[in-house]
Amino acid sequence: DPYCFALKMSILQYNGGSVIAMTGKNCVGIACDRRFGVQQLTLAGDFDKVFKINDKLFLGLPGLATDMQTLHEKLRYRVNMYRLREERDVSPKVFAKMVSSILYEHRWGPYFTEPVIGGLEGDKPFVCSMDLIGCPMVTDDFVVSGSSNESLLGICESLYIPDQSPEDLFETLSQCLLNAMDRDCISGWGATVHIITTTGVTSRNLRTRQD
Amino acid sequence: FGLAEMNGPVTTETYKAGAISHPKEAAKGGWSPYVDNGGTVLAVCGEDYCVIAGDTRMSVGYSINSRTVPKLAQLTSRSVLASSGMQADALGLQKNLKARIVMYEHQTGKEMSTPAIAQMLSTTLYYKRFFPFYTFNVLGGLDADGRGCVYTYDAIGSYERVTYASSGSGSLLVQPVLDSQVGFKNQPKQMQRQLTVAEAVDLVKDVITSAGERDIYTGDYVDVYII
Repeated sequence: DPYCFALKMSILQYNGGSVIAMTGKNCVGIACDRRFGVQQLTLAGDFDKVFKINDKLFLGLPGLATDMQTLHEKLRYRVNMYRLREERDVSPKVFAKMVSSILYEHRWGPYFTEPVIGGLEGDKPFVCSMDLIGCPMVTDDFVVSGSSNESLLGICESLYIPDQSPEDLFETLSQCLLNAMDRDCISGWGATVHIITTTGVTSRNLRTRQD
Repeated sequence: FGLAEMNGPVTTETYKAGAISHPKEAAKGGWSPYVDNGGTVLAVCGEDYCVIAGDTRMSVGYSINSRTVPKLAQLTSRSVLASSGMQADALGLQKNLKARIVMYEHQTGKEMSTPAIAQMLSTTLYYKRFFPFYTFNVLGGLDADGRGCVYTYDAIGSYERVTYASSGSGSLLVQPVLDSQVGFKNQPKQMQRQLTVAEAVDLVKDVITSAGERDIYTGDYVDVYII
């Protein structure tokens, strides 16, 4: 049918979306775009992909939206059980291992999401990304994931400066996300940025190009 | 080497056995006239200059064929063509353009201006609309008034004059940085300003280095032409 469009895309690009996490001096920034769409159709501009696990730990889940929601709920359950048993908050390293294990359990029928974790281990920043079957990658600068993966890597590689203050980290992180997002058709429609410090979390919604 | 005596008649299968087969062939067992040699090119222009650069790595599949193959070709005293994609087609295209530029100079007595070359490149590419040059070009230079100009192309000749452009395997990594640092996108209007030549050259070097860090097909050396 010549009037019916169905683009041939990878399943990880069905909904689109991007997430990025970056380290600073005793702080971590994690940010995502806010678009929710189905292939080329945009349905919402308030669909965050970064979730709070606890005051010092955030999780970003780009990729297939249904898998992102399911995984978020599964992890919320596991984290709550952890908190009941251990009587303390889960640390980023342990949480990363938890996510990795859950993803690998589904090695042959995976969740189509490539998570990004940003948090504070004590007061040291911790960022980690994973592929869809749970292979973790811990770096000391930045991690990216989502449909504008390559663009994010390119601009982070150029603009990143180690040990920035929370204010400077916010600016750098935002510029990296915004400019990379603007070169990707299936990411965009606003952005949410969280800056995690030892004293608290500052969350900001950015107004961006709405196209 | 006495292979025939040792192993019997040498067949094509024997030769292919050890080699990593080309990605395109392996996928279907067919043959494609095109190959992607990788690499990144970019250009930035200003009021009275144009900086155009490209890496020098030439790859086929996961192998590096050469570390010193230039992607940039100087066409006239005021314009340079940068071609990413398939280097064989880039060479063919350069040869075609250079010949016609010489003929233009003989016929008109003038050097061909960059906007004229830009249009000629577009028609040359579209001429092969149904068996294209597998090249993703960026043309940089000075126009007839001495102002910097950059033209960006797709494989079949669609072109646009812009202030900055990038193309090739690392273009996805490079383009957002140019948007941010040359276009001042997502920044308040007060931040907008003209870059000096020195700033543009530094930016181009940094950006292509960053692309080289993350893109496997970009690296080795960088040619930078300052017009």
